[in-house]
Amino acid sequence: MFQTIRSFLTGKSSRDVAKGRLHLVLAHDRSGLEGGRLQEMREEIAAVIAKYVPIDAEAVEIQIETRSRETQLTVSSPLPARAR
Amino acid sequence: MGRAIVITSGKGGVGKTTTTANLGTALAQLGHSVVLVDADIGLRNLDVVMGLENRIVYHVVDAIRGKCSVAKALIKDRRMENLWLLPASQTDDKDAVTPDDMKRLIGELKATHDFVIIDCPAGIEQGFRNAIAAADEAIVVATPEVSSIRDADRVVGLLAASDVPARLIVNRISQHLVKRGDMLSQSDVIEILALELLGTVPLDDQVVATTNKGVPAVLEGKSVAAREFIRIAKKVSGLEVEAPVGVGFFTRLGRALGLSAAPA
Repeated sequence: MFQTIRSFLTGKSSRDVAKGRLHLVLAHDRSGLEGGRLQEMREEIAAVIAKYVPIDAEAVEIQIETRSRETQLTVSSPLPARAR
Repeated sequence: MGRAIVITSGKGGVGKTTTTANLGTALAQLGHSVVLVDADIGLRNLDVVMGLENRIVYHVVDAIRGKCSVAKALIKDRRMENLWLLPASQTDDKDAVTPDDMKRLIGELKATHDFVIIDCPAGIEQGFRNAIAAADEAIVVATPEVSSIRDADRVVGLLAASDVPARLIVNRISQHLVKRGDMLSQSDVIEILALELLGTVPLDDQVVATTNKGVPAVLEGKSVAAREFIRIAKKVSGLEVEAPVGVGFFTRLGRALGLSAAPA
């Protein structure tokens, strides 16, 4: 009952939640990258970017996503506007 | 020369043994000669699911070690023509057998039968490697749950690395729960695992009841799960197949007219 009310309020069924969790879990399983290694890689990539552009290293995000059997690694970082 | 098909899943308890028993029995009903091989050494179960546990004299490890001939280790299922079981050993462990042993054994069985259906143990260790070593193709069984699909995905990767082509059976699906939004649908599972679908077996009380009695559901005929296993057997053997269970007239009509999406 609680589940039903919650899914009514959030608009997400338990089926959708399961799908989302699977996509995330499988992306990590398929890449063979455990959580800690991924964070290490994030920090190194952030350091490389910081060599070229002044960025906030903490704001760099790393994500693994999977669709079908394709797995994609995405690194994103906000770039500050150049001071004139 | 027959075909060796391994039934595998990664996770335990999703219906590998039930699938092996029913698919094998249904293939035998279609007139093929079939051997079921229990590759779960140390934890044999296919014998009880088939109701043949009282007739075991020799087992797979005896046949591999030459304690008896392969033919002598086979138990003939008396309920029908063309069906045999090669039981696992209950006292040895999985290291008692090597992938090469399995290749020799399955090769010998393929020479005399149309289908050799191998019931793979759960896990991805030695027992799994033994079971897939001699397989020409694989059927991955998954239930519509996160844990089962995660393990199935791992197995799909390992099968691909060993060049064993795989197809999918989604087991124990409840259309009622799918409609309510509380269960992954067959297309969700197909999308995630990216495998060709052989069939979707509904959650069915009848399977519990027939398994209690040691009778494969397809031998008792009319349950929805039995009908789907028979349809899968026809597909596996290359015969023409009617529309899957649960797809109604209007859905098929809609598909034919291009009004609703065809299944993935």
